[in-house]
Amino acid sequence: MDLNRPALPLQNKAATNRKALAATAVAAALLLSACGGGAAPQGAEQAAAADPASGASASGAVNICGVKDASGIYKGTAEAFTKANGKVTAKYTEIGATTDEARTQIVQRLEGKSTECDLFVTDVIWTSEFASQGWLLDQTKLVEANKDRLIPSTVETTKYQDKYWGSPFFTNAGLIYYQKDKVAKPESWQQLYAEAAKAPGNGYVYQGKQYEGLTVNFLEMLYSAGGEVLNDQGDVKIDSKETRDVLNFMSDGLKNGSADRAVLTYNEDPARLAYESGDFGYQRNWPHVYRLLNATPLASTFGVAPLPTWEGGKASGVLGGWNLAISAHSTNQAGAVAFIDFATSPDWQKHVAMDYSQAPVNEAAYSDAAVLQKMPFATELLASVKGAKPRPISPVYPQISQAIYKNVYAVLSGTSSTEEAVQKMAEEITTAKASF
Amino acid sequence: MAIKTIPPSRGPARTSGRDRAERKLAFRMTAPSLVIMALVAAVPIGYAIWLSLNQYSVRTAGLSRFVGLENYINALASQEWWAAFGQTFLFAGLSVSLELVLGTAMALLLNLAFKGRAVLRTVVLLPYAIITVVSAITWQTMFQPNMGLVTNVLSALGLPGGDVVWLGEHGYAMAVIVMADVWKTTPFAALIILAGLQVISAETYEAAELDGASKWQTFVNITLPLLRPAIVLAAIFRTMDALRVFDLPFVLTRGANGTESMSMLAYTQLRENRLVGEGSALSILTFLTVMVVSVIYVRFAGGNIREVAKEEQ
Repeated sequence: MDLNRPALPLQNKAATNRKALAATAVAAALLLSACGGGAAPQGAEQAAAADPASGASASGAVNICGVKDASGIYKGTAEAFTKANGKVTAKYTEIGATTDEARTQIVQRLEGKSTECDLFVTDVIWTSEFASQGWLLDQTKLVEANKDRLIPSTVETTKYQDKYWGSPFFTNAGLIYYQKDKVAKPESWQQLYAEAAKAPGNGYVYQGKQYEGLTVNFLEMLYSAGGEVLNDQGDVKIDSKETRDVLNFMSDGLKNGSADRAVLTYNEDPARLAYESGDFGYQRNWPHVYRLLNATPLASTFGVAPLPTWEGGKASGVLGGWNLAISAHSTNQAGAVAFIDFATSPDWQKHVAMDYSQAPVNEAAYSDAAVLQKMPFATELLASVKGAKPRPISPVYPQISQAIYKNVYAVLSGTSSTEEAVQKMAEEITTAKASF
Repeated sequence: MAIKTIPPSRGPARTSGRDRAERKLAFRMTAPSLVIMALVAAVPIGYAIWLSLNQYSVRTAGLSRFVGLENYINALASQEWWAAFGQTFLFAGLSVSLELVLGTAMALLLNLAFKGRAVLRTVVLLPYAIITVVSAITWQTMFQPNMGLVTNVLSALGLPGGDVVWLGEHGYAMAVIVMADVWKTTPFAALIILAGLQVISAETYEAAELDGASKWQTFVNITLPLLRPAIVLAAIFRTMDALRVFDLPFVLTRGANGTESMSMLAYTQLRENRLVGEGSALSILTFLTVMVVSVIYVRFAGGNIREVAKEEQ
């Protein structure tokens, strides 16, 4: 903190500054040139396309990069593929412990035009962002060649500007877990909320913390009520009666005891743990919770149901899951195509369910006897997956999601009125969409 | 802060040849560290300033445009920035004042002569050694409704707060964040203040005793004034840290219930939204805020440091 030292004589100080400046400039130049820049604008329009036929003659090595392999599915698939193919060897590289970290790592590699990874395992919501930057290989032909083996709703998550930029690997959809000894099977959201308010032990737990999960919970209801965020032309449609209905419904639920106020702090795991205490009747969560609940005293009393319908509407949901995207800088695109062919094959999709408890993207897998034995709720899961829709497709999805979860949270926590929140949501999404 | 390192000077200009030679030598000797400073501090800051004057397309890779101060104007016109600004200062004010009061008390205790003092001085530093994210997750668990330690104990004792969703209400969420910060960094403040305590000579206290001063009078008239430089130093360090707070609200609330800090806002724009220009402008604004506050500290409170030092001579 030597701010009070007397200054140097003027003359010398200027000389010193000049030299320091020169040194800084040189250093800056070095650093900047190392970062590489001056990339010509390159958008989704100019992207190269993957050739579906190339997989058959592929050879060499394929590197798949993505999040930490908690269930073992990525490494397992890479090994099985290597064994089955004989010519191409695949390996899986973990580049992030969490989804957010993996996204940062993937973005860094793509921005730097790294050739390290041939394939990325991408969260369904990243597709349009990556595609708009010209980072991915156009998979339209490949997806069309594989169309009869993939569930249509899962393919929609890879679509951006009428082209497909990835192939679905496994999917995910919300389910309702309920206590058969206390409450009725959920048929509609209205019935679920009414039943949940009947007794203190019947309550409904969901993910209400201010984060991506709240966007998902809200959209599941909004979609089933017939509302939407963006229409097919990409216009903002959230300022609607349906949005108001759902927001009022959710906040009334917190006031009349259908849901405990504690849900405002819950993401997936706290919600599961609260439900496991036995003090609740319903829980909204992902399929992986099934296995965990089976290891608790609730094993014999809980049931699984697809997401309910909105009274007078239909059942819907929001798709999660992971896609396989080929890097535009991959040095072995044919190998990557071969890997996708294997990973999405009806036969391997059964293993996706049986060995790793993930939701297949192939419909036949859900009715396979061996799968049903390992995953008795496969029928309910398929219903949820088929009815579900992707989250809003836009390169500025993160901003859209923030506009949704922040304003929904404001209504739930009581700091904003429904009317105010709907208008802010629409305004913020419009601003986000206008991003340069 | 001291980006431009000023070579040691010896008062007003005396331009003898020897002097100049010596100054040249001094410059040559400090040059390597100047270059390193430039590389690790000046270049990134300069680059961030450049980024903040541009907008980078989130739609088309490689497209950017120079927008001058537009990112700053938008940030300063936004409600989010001022909300985060206010909340960050509220957090810093609350946590730093608590830390200084508790830190002084802790330092006084640790300064007493008792058995095992050396061990205790090390042990109190433990919270400071724990990674903030880890301690934040612990606090989150303790305040979990229905299952948390704190909420359970409170309701078992019939005290208020047992049925509150701590992290789901504005005042309460801020309280948890302040508590977590105070718990973690009070030992750090105590350590600095303890060092200040140990400089005060025993003779001063003896003189006070001879004059018949009570314990309280001694504390107010001798200990506190002489301790002021140390307390100010602790305050500067802690305030600068507190104004950049990120990890606690990020883990505990994700910025919900009005706990979003300035750094969190910058992170969201930069990382989640990839709005590089807008995010950089927010980081620079945060940086400037911290700069201004520390300059104010040094100007006003720092004057005290000099005065006290003069008096002591």
